[in-house]
Amino acid sequence: MSTTTTHPYVAALLAGTAALPQSPAAWLDARRAAALERANALAVPTTRDEEWRFTDLTPLTRLQFQPVTTASTVSAADIAAYAVSEAAVRLVFVDGIHVPALSHAGFLPAGITVELLASALKKHGALIEPYLAQLVKNDNDLFAALNTAFLQHGVFIHAAKNAALQAPIHLLFVATRKGVAAYPRCLVVADAGSEITVIEDYVALGDEAGLTNAVTEIAVAANASVRHIKLQRESSQAFHIGSSAVTLAKDARYLSHAVSFGARLSRNNLSVTQMGEGAHAQIDGLALIGGRQLADTHTLMDHTQPNGTCEQSHKTIVGGAGHAVFNGKVFVHQGAQLTNSSQQSRNLLLSDKARVDTKPQLEIFADDVKCAHGATVGQLDADHLFYLKSRGLPEAQARNLLTYAFGAEIIDRIPVPSLVAQLEQYVMARTEAGA
Amino acid sequence: MSSVLDTLVSQPYKHGFVTDIESETAPKGLNEDIIRMISAKKKEPEWLLDFRLKAYRHWLTMTEPQWPNVHYPKIDFQAISYYAAPKPKKKLSMDEVDPELLRTFEKLGVPMHERAALAGVAVDVIFDSVSVTTTYKEKLAEVGIIFCSISEAVHNHPELVRQYMGSVVPAGDNYYAALNSAVFTDGSFCFIPKGVKCPMDLSTYFRINTQDSGQFERTLIIAEEGAQVSYLEGCTAPQFDTNQLHAAVVELVALDDADIKYSTVQNWYAGDEKGVGGIYNFVTKRGLCKGRNSKISWTQVETGSAITWKYPSCVLLGENSIGEFYSVALTNHKQQADTGTKMIHVGKNTRSTIISKGISAGYSNNSYRGLVKIGPHAEGARNFSQCDSMLIGSKCGANTFPYIQVQNPTAKVEHEATTSKIGEDQLFYFQSRGIPTEEAVSMIINGFCKDVFQQLPMEFAVEATKLLGLKLEGSVG
Repeated sequence: MSTTTTHPYVAALLAGTAALPQSPAAWLDARRAAALERANALAVPTTRDEEWRFTDLTPLTRLQFQPVTTASTVSAADIAAYAVSEAAVRLVFVDGIHVPALSHAGFLPAGITVELLASALKKHGALIEPYLAQLVKNDNDLFAALNTAFLQHGVFIHAAKNAALQAPIHLLFVATRKGVAAYPRCLVVADAGSEITVIEDYVALGDEAGLTNAVTEIAVAANASVRHIKLQRESSQAFHIGSSAVTLAKDARYLSHAVSFGARLSRNNLSVTQMGEGAHAQIDGLALIGGRQLADTHTLMDHTQPNGTCEQSHKTIVGGAGHAVFNGKVFVHQGAQLTNSSQQSRNLLLSDKARVDTKPQLEIFADDVKCAHGATVGQLDADHLFYLKSRGLPEAQARNLLTYAFGAEIIDRIPVPSLVAQLEQYVMARTEAGA
Repeated sequence: MSSVLDTLVSQPYKHGFVTDIESETAPKGLNEDIIRMISAKKKEPEWLLDFRLKAYRHWLTMTEPQWPNVHYPKIDFQAISYYAAPKPKKKLSMDEVDPELLRTFEKLGVPMHERAALAGVAVDVIFDSVSVTTTYKEKLAEVGIIFCSISEAVHNHPELVRQYMGSVVPAGDNYYAALNSAVFTDGSFCFIPKGVKCPMDLSTYFRINTQDSGQFERTLIIAEEGAQVSYLEGCTAPQFDTNQLHAAVVELVALDDADIKYSTVQNWYAGDEKGVGGIYNFVTKRGLCKGRNSKISWTQVETGSAITWKYPSCVLLGENSIGEFYSVALTNHKQQADTGTKMIHVGKNTRSTIISKGISAGYSNNSYRGLVKIGPHAEGARNFSQCDSMLIGSKCGANTFPYIQVQNPTAKVEHEATTSKIGEDQLFYFQSRGIPTEEAVSMIINGFCKDVFQQLPMEFAVEATKLLGLKLEGSVG
């Protein structure tokens, strides 16, 4: 590693790594060091990088962010609005740091473990070692490398063989302060035949410019099922860069719901790799933005084995001078015969200054497959508007209703009623305010 | 079923032969002296030499594009000869054309006399770099149409060439366009004056002949207000072992209410089954819908070349202008194609349609790469894109990279893509009706490509159907 060549902004971000305590496991220290070295070698991506072509990180690089060691004081009342009544467990992190007083652990059935990474590393090291910092690739991803270099705070969720928990596990990450960088890390390991639901929820108190750089790794074993709900409701000044990496064994199921409302600039990477035959993925996404917000979603569905299926639906609603970016790649390897993969990118533009860049991408190297993708960009359908108006609805109300319905299609598929209610209310309020 | 496919796919190249005509070739390599030599040989005016030198100096600062999904050894631009001309002999009429040349075209199935007489097609024959003969020129001149080689146009209509050359594809547009601008040797020039509907389809046959001579065509078509023209470009090349570079530039300009239809059937040598040899086809084609209600339509059937890198585009500047792109791209063996289109909507109520059909067989790799861009002032712009791929065999690849960039809320953009293969049940259905597999496959593929073939002029549609059948003979079964 030659520190002399480190990109100055990356060097500034990495300054905090020196103060990191040793991790509980030597192998993790080695992985953190390797990630640090990698981050030192990488530059902040620019729009000349194909992966960041439409997302300019300049606003991020104008600000400085450092992790903190103590969380701000947050009361239960402050975050009451984000409560998910169905949740079995809630872990709350403020500015990247766990706050036990705000968290609660309900009844967990046998075989389900929800624990802070630090303590889990001591108790379940052997279980964690094969996955942590192994599923997410940081060779060319500065932010994944940064997160791993800072790997300290986070959650380990484990479902033992055939264990099932219907109630969701709620992980609430609260940002409160300006200039704070949070590097939360989640690892979800679902053993054969198990079933769990995880809610990753990023919220903010106030309207400060913080940076959340989150990484989540999910390993789903044979016949297991993981539902992954990721909500990004950060402040309108914040930067959110998140990556999720998922591996699916034979006949595993992964159901993803990613909803982005917040942040000045957000980037959500999701990569799903099918490692066994017959795995199924459902990938839903919704971004609702306005003002000067930018929401970028990059997904990769990697079919490496036969008989895999994937259904993806990504929607964006863009008002103000908002800018939505979508890049969805479906890769079908040689030998991944009988793959059935479909992808929809649907985008609704509400204002003159709104902008959408979408790139659904197919790369197919097997002949006996069914793959389709579709993309649409447009405004509300004139016929639909006319129909509602003919039923007596005023223009504005008809527009709001249709906009709401466009987004609700994604939200309604989340099987957590209290969360659906929260999100729908938000979408309704936002569409009424003109996004 | 794959054995029939295999034999279908493995047809030897039927147009592989080298015509033995002495040619005058420039020494290998590229520098300002070579460019001055080309310019001097062609007795070009000073401004054109300046244009070339500027392009060359810009080219030196550029790097080869890395983003296409194609792989090939680095090209040594100093190992290419940039000028080859058949020995200059005076040729005034068809009867005086070198019989050797005529026989070549005969073998390719382009009987000039017949074609000219029966099909009513004026053929501007390009043999390597120099335009040898132009037919029907006089007949076209009667209605004011100028159809000649670009070198002739430089001498006879310098004001038109100077006004429009580089106006659609600037000299420094991209690496290969800059190279072309520096060293282009010949090509076609076509000017349709105001209100004239071209009475016949215009056509050029390209042919790469001299070994190791790069071909740098330059085509310029201008349709004035209300003018209409349909232009056909067809290509075949003889079999060579060393890769040949072809970097053409085609510029189309359509003024108010003008309509240009540009059709291509490309069947250059694609290399052998192992991927040895074949043409590198790195082409920049772009049309500018400058006027209101103008229309530019690209139709292409790409079956040849070892590597194809080609994105015929439309810049829709004029209000209500229309851009169309219809494409069939077939790759086999080790061929690689990265092709598609760009539709740049600038003006109000501009419309574009993209229909792309990709067929991959053998070990080939076929990519569709397209851009639909709706600018902030393109009120009411409309695009529909459909990109379908068909895979024949399990060793080939089919990729789609559509970029959709929208900056106007009143625009409506739709894109869809599917990938499929020839179904067992489809074949069974044909067989149950007594139609042999091979014929069934040919029918299914023709059905798959129907939307594109329908856009081709009659003669080309027939040729294209035959070509696809020929290329895939024995590839499905």
